[in-house]
Amino acid sequence: MRLPRRPPRPGDDLHSLAAPYALDALDHAERDRYEHHLAACAECAAEVRTLAEDTVRLARSTAVPAPAALRARVLAAVRTAPQEPAAPREPASSREPAARRRARRLPRTGAARARRDRFRPSGPWLLLVPFATTTAAAALVVAALFAAEAHRTREELDAARDRAREIAHVLAAPDARAAGGADETGGVLGVVASASEGRAVVTLGGYGRPPGDRVHQLWLVRPGAPPHSLGLFDGDAPLLASGLEPGPASLAVTVEPGGGSSRPTGTPLVQVALESVGFGG
Amino acid sequence: MDADELLTLVARGDRAAFEALYALVSGPVYGLALRVVRDPAQAEEVAQEALLELWSSAARFDPARGSALAWTLTLAHRRAVDRVRSARAAGERDRREARRSHHPAFDQVVEEVEAGLERDEVRRCLDRLTALQRQSVTLAYYDGYTYREVAERLSVPLGTVKTRMRDGLDRLRACLVGAV
Repeated sequence: MRLPRRPPRPGDDLHSLAAPYALDALDHAERDRYEHHLAACAECAAEVRTLAEDTVRLARSTAVPAPAALRARVLAAVRTAPQEPAAPREPASSREPAARRRARRLPRTGAARARRDRFRPSGPWLLLVPFATTTAAAALVVAALFAAEAHRTREELDAARDRAREIAHVLAAPDARAAGGADETGGVLGVVASASEGRAVVTLGGYGRPPGDRVHQLWLVRPGAPPHSLGLFDGDAPLLASGLEPGPASLAVTVEPGGGSSRPTGTPLVQVALESVGFGG
Repeated sequence: MDADELLTLVARGDRAAFEALYALVSGPVYGLALRVVRDPAQAEEVAQEALLELWSSAARFDPARGSALAWTLTLAHRRAVDRVRSARAAGERDRREARRSHHPAFDQVVEEVEAGLERDEVRRCLDRLTALQRQSVTLAYYDGYTYREVAERLSVPLGTVKTRMRDGLDRLRACLVGAV
């Protein structure tokens, strides 16, 4: 089972890096150089392939069951996270329908969804999942909301994909924290925020659409300053709020006339203090 | 379906295939991350990043270049190694290791959970390597040291370390596959 080894030649130092490469024991610069070499050396590629399967054995012997929360988080994130296109050299036109088909396939069919984990959505909102200081629950909420948006034009889809990327970025921030505010009627304002990024992903649920052409508007409320609009909710889609600064402040939602207002005209339906998501002092 | 077939479906955006693939790879991915970064919270972060990369980059998988499991574990291992290297550069890991020496419970837990046939086999075969082969392989793969660092730690020339890594992997394979 020994691999045939090339006889050493002077100056072919790179060949001797197959094992260190397979073990990830090269620094970045050396790894890049070796990979460059690998692309032109079929012999080395075969060698690395075999050695990589050896490291798989080393890796598998460390296997332990992954925490359940990890599964929930990863599978939720996968529902919003974009994928690299299947074939980069393919013309864009032939890629688009696949992506659109994919989007339209959401939400999952009943049978497929029933197989999913215990955080099964009951309607568009995941109120079964308590908000905690972990991003997992919030990611699920955001994912469920995304899944609800099924039929979209190509432009909308592109915009949604960009937004999904931004949202995934906030959710993945090391300091991302989640909080929720609820009113007596069961309406909920969900917030996942990263203080270091100054951004928050905000979702609103349980309120339905406001009557007529009225809209739900999100505000940043700071002591001693007029409320600042962070945008309008579009159905169940999450809002991405940027430019948030540390300090006492809260997010609030009001019902406003179509197109939104420059100052809130209604009383807040629900509020969340940014302090609860790491924007203290 | 095996991991290779599943990953091919994942590359086309198949979420059910991803769930099935997750079931196959999450244990090794998380276990490997835990072994390298030695901290459950960080291991979870590394595993999460790697598994999301598995989803987003699935189209880059090339079956001609290796198995899906090898590719997946490479994603995870590189991330874990990057993390310990930067932590080490910041001196954090040494402090953490020093702290842990007063709290051996974590390693014990890992040992207990890790019990399994495959682990026993690998351990048995690792024991058959020479000390230098074994240290070269494990310091690199499980502790995230570069071969230069391994050479320094073991006080042997660079060429020797490269050869021992290679011999170590060859012998490990012979032992595991050929049941020597």
